[in-house]
Amino acid sequence: MSGSPDDLEKMSIPATPPQSLRKVLIASANPLFARGLQKMVAEHWGRRGAEIRLADSMEQAIEALNTWKPDLVIVDYDDVGRPGAIQRETFLSHFIAGERPMQVMLVSLRASGEVVVYDRRTLTPDQAEDWFDLPWTVQSEISEQTQPPRRNRMRHFVIVGLLTAVLTALVYFLLTTARLYPVAASVQAGPIDAMINLQVGLISFLFALIVSFISYSVIFFRQKPGEKGDGPFVTGSTRLEVLWTLFPLVLVIYLSFAGAQALAEVRQPEAQVLQVKVTAFQWSWLFEYPEYGIQSNTLYMPVDRQAHITLTSRDVIHSFWVPEFRVKQDALPGANLVKEVRITPTIIGDYKVRCAEMCGGAHAYMESPVKVVSQADFDAWVQAEMNAANASPEQRGERWATTNCTSCHALDGSRLVGPSWKGVYGSQITLADGSTVTVDDAYLLESILDPNAKIHQGFPPNVMPANYDATLTEQQINDIIAFIKTIK
Amino acid sequence: MTKLYRIGLVRGLIWQAVGTAVGFGLFTALRAVLGLAFKAEPAWVFGMMFGAIAFLVGLGAFTDWFRWAKGEATPEPEEVQDPPGALRFFGISFDHKVIGIQYVANSLLLLVVGGLFALIFRVELARAGMQFLSFLWFNTFIGLHGIVLIGSMLLGGAAIGNYTVPLLIGARDMAFPRLNAFAFWLSVPAVVLILLSMPLGGFETGWTGYPPLSARGPMGIQAFFAGVWILGWSSVLGGLNLIATILRMRAPGMKMFRMPILAWAVLATSIITLTATQLIGMSFQLVMFERLLGMPFFEPARGGNPILFQHLFWFYSHPAVYVFVLPGFGVISELLPVFARKPLFGYKWIALSSLGIAIVGFLVWAHHMFTAGMEEYLRVPFMYSTLLVAVPTGVKVFSWTATLWAGRLRFATPMLFVTGALVIFLTGGLTGPPLGVVASDLQLHDTYFVVGHFHSTMFGGYVFPFFAALYYWFPKATGRKMNEGLGKLHFWLMFPSFLVMSLGQMWVGLHGMRRRIADYDPALGIETAQLVVTIAGFLIALSILVYLYNLVTSLRRGEVAVGNVWGSRSPEWQIPSPAPAHNYPAPLQVVGEPYDYGLEGSRYVEIGSGKAVPQAGD
Repeated sequence: MSGSPDDLEKMSIPATPPQSLRKVLIASANPLFARGLQKMVAEHWGRRGAEIRLADSMEQAIEALNTWKPDLVIVDYDDVGRPGAIQRETFLSHFIAGERPMQVMLVSLRASGEVVVYDRRTLTPDQAEDWFDLPWTVQSEISEQTQPPRRNRMRHFVIVGLLTAVLTALVYFLLTTARLYPVAASVQAGPIDAMINLQVGLISFLFALIVSFISYSVIFFRQKPGEKGDGPFVTGSTRLEVLWTLFPLVLVIYLSFAGAQALAEVRQPEAQVLQVKVTAFQWSWLFEYPEYGIQSNTLYMPVDRQAHITLTSRDVIHSFWVPEFRVKQDALPGANLVKEVRITPTIIGDYKVRCAEMCGGAHAYMESPVKVVSQADFDAWVQAEMNAANASPEQRGERWATTNCTSCHALDGSRLVGPSWKGVYGSQITLADGSTVTVDDAYLLESILDPNAKIHQGFPPNVMPANYDATLTEQQINDIIAFIKTIK
Repeated sequence: MTKLYRIGLVRGLIWQAVGTAVGFGLFTALRAVLGLAFKAEPAWVFGMMFGAIAFLVGLGAFTDWFRWAKGEATPEPEEVQDPPGALRFFGISFDHKVIGIQYVANSLLLLVVGGLFALIFRVELARAGMQFLSFLWFNTFIGLHGIVLIGSMLLGGAAIGNYTVPLLIGARDMAFPRLNAFAFWLSVPAVVLILLSMPLGGFETGWTGYPPLSARGPMGIQAFFAGVWILGWSSVLGGLNLIATILRMRAPGMKMFRMPILAWAVLATSIITLTATQLIGMSFQLVMFERLLGMPFFEPARGGNPILFQHLFWFYSHPAVYVFVLPGFGVISELLPVFARKPLFGYKWIALSSLGIAIVGFLVWAHHMFTAGMEEYLRVPFMYSTLLVAVPTGVKVFSWTATLWAGRLRFATPMLFVTGALVIFLTGGLTGPPLGVVASDLQLHDTYFVVGHFHSTMFGGYVFPFFAALYYWFPKATGRKMNEGLGKLHFWLMFPSFLVMSLGQMWVGLHGMRRRIADYDPALGIETAQLVVTIAGFLIALSILVYLYNLVTSLRRGEVAVGNVWGSRSPEWQIPSPAPAHNYPAPLQVVGEPYDYGLEGSRYVEIGSGKAVPQAGD
């Protein structure tokens, strides 16, 4: 019989030695191997009185065979023609020549993994007949033997199939009730939400499929305690590989195609759009309506009318995003890098636009209100803004200051990023270098155009933008100065 | 004192500190001589680069080359004897197994440091409102968390490759042992520079370093750029070495499709690191030049374009994520057969899918830029290519499942981590398509949904397999086993906590939580979820503490394990543990297929002719 080292113990050495098997000779030229074997045999049979002897040369082994007459000889043989080395052939010829029951177990360290047992027994005719009924274990039958019968295999698949179906439904239910997105408040949200929903279905199924197979395996295909030996010899299946390559390939092509269509719908322009120019800057937003010549720090949008929003930045990359509208677009600096996004709001209400691209500092707080109103309310608002544009310098100045300055300069005396304007006009302030100066029109003008020139002591340089000469008109600046003078 | 100085690492760090000061001074002196005013930033950049080179000189990384330049002979790497005991790990060693362990140490260090940064800012985010961090420091910590963990993953992948590949293919060492040591030691000064970004003022851009924001603002960004630039070289050179080793040093009879699957994974990874890493170095270098020399590559007002940076950056940084996960996938493929006692299902297909992922991974980078403002028509082809990556990845996931199916599964700690990795990666991978489809990405980009997606793919593709590898090969490296009970505790703490954290991140992202924000509107209704995510993060940290405790105690008192503890057919388990220097006493003979578990009487390799058990002193 032959087998692997795992079988060493269960095949050749029975749990209790037969009454007669008490003398074990270990013949090995390798002292480590011999002692290891001795330890193993002693562990198994030591308590039952087995006697173990060692022989490390052919001479000693033959001598022990003839005089001591062991019941089991474990031979470690090696072919390196050393004088005195244990020779397999010589040994076996002695074994064949004898008549007592005896077993020889051949182990080779070189071709390790194979153990050959020769079992010499004298049988009665009845025992011989029984011997013919001993099961065969032939190499070629092994894979069939270790594979469970076909019907059992099908049963596993049926159960996992059911499990997959149930888990798909459960995951799908959980995902769809988990509120994966806020209310859809734009036309553009339609195709986007449709794509998300489609994918939720696919994800539910694929997740359930794999998790079901893995969970089933983990529970039902565990090695039982005490069980040794390997699983079935299954190396692969070309058919299955082709299937699970082609099927996902078709799926992803379809998904991309559907995604491209959705994108086209999202980008679809309409006639009769409202033009809005959005400028992002650290850390707020400015909205301009070029058709009406008005500016605002709140984004007013008429419902059910597409707004064509152009995006630019005064400094670093920002990104425009209202979650209820879905679409998102980065705003870049540079007159040649103006980007656009189209939004058709569908639900009247208040929203927030928040910056969605890391822009340093107060990026977390870079937000502005968005108001979707009826067309009538929108027209009324536009009219009011245009009237305000014709107002006094102080009133206009208040408007410009609210959009450009008051996020950093408080009107009520509190300290924000920059000094408060309350009572500042005409006052004496200390500068960074210790000198004092009176805040007059010239000082205010200089401080707007060149903020670092005469910084108020205790405030950091290089924070206030230094490009207002480019972003504000002369009139706007004068209006702002007029407004500052009114804050007592 | 002199005893400390004899340690390579100590010497290197001292030289780096001195070198940085000298470089800084030299540069400033040069400017003074030319009549120019003092400028801190370029002096620091010059000093940092000078200091990094000084580290390598002080360590001794250039000593052999200096000798050759003088015409002197040096010993062959094989002839060099490492100092005994733990000392060998703190200086230059040419032994791939020592270098592999050095990579592990650096990787675990970065894992802990990067994780600590996350714990800090997650405490800030657990409640709405700003509690204790300023904007600058919040932004710096999220950026450092990102890059430090990226570094940890690169080094961990290098650890897996360098330690195992020569053992797997029957080689005595890597193709270029000196280069191997050099590539490792580059990573140490690089890490110092990255962390130097903190005292130099922090940086506000996150790890992606987009200009124009990175071209202005605090000087810490230069330390970040310089550190990453140097770390990249470690990746490039390591990849080169691994490719040469795998292609040229396999044992006779070990054809490409007969080598352990992990070698295929490492090969695919190395192709990427060899060819793509240069792009991130270049993109960062251009911003450094913009800051130092006023070259307006990314400044629109002077003819530049910030989108150019993003193309250059992501051309590496997307393939980089495959660098992170391909070795982990290889570990999963390598370990499943051992613990399922079943052949790896579809070996050839899995091997080729690693190459497939690497190749297709080069074609998808602009899916990070769908909202960036690049040409609109470009978005569609990148969507197709992005979704295409799912095909070879799916082949792997299906194959792993088929390997498990009908096996005889044994759940030792490595197997727990590998199975957990499969489930977690599945979750992360399935959240990819919503990001890859442009329309849905418009909603999801730059939200915490992305954060949930990549944490899931990284933990499933790297972190869990990395721990599996550490538990699995620990006996090979040390001759001891790690404690099973603690290993199981590590897993059962980390796995559910991670799922909670990742799903929580996705949930808050879907409910309006943007990325890289220090504070959020309580009206979003996500405060409780944020607290849960933070707590889950702390539990993950606790599980890693359990691991580190297990590591330290097992090194001293672990159960002795000198044989084939896992019953693996792989070559490295046919020799005793700890693996001897130069690995195999005689060339491997390949006599069968690597994963024929269940085929009675089959073997994969024989250890040459002659003695089976290597004698002491090999």
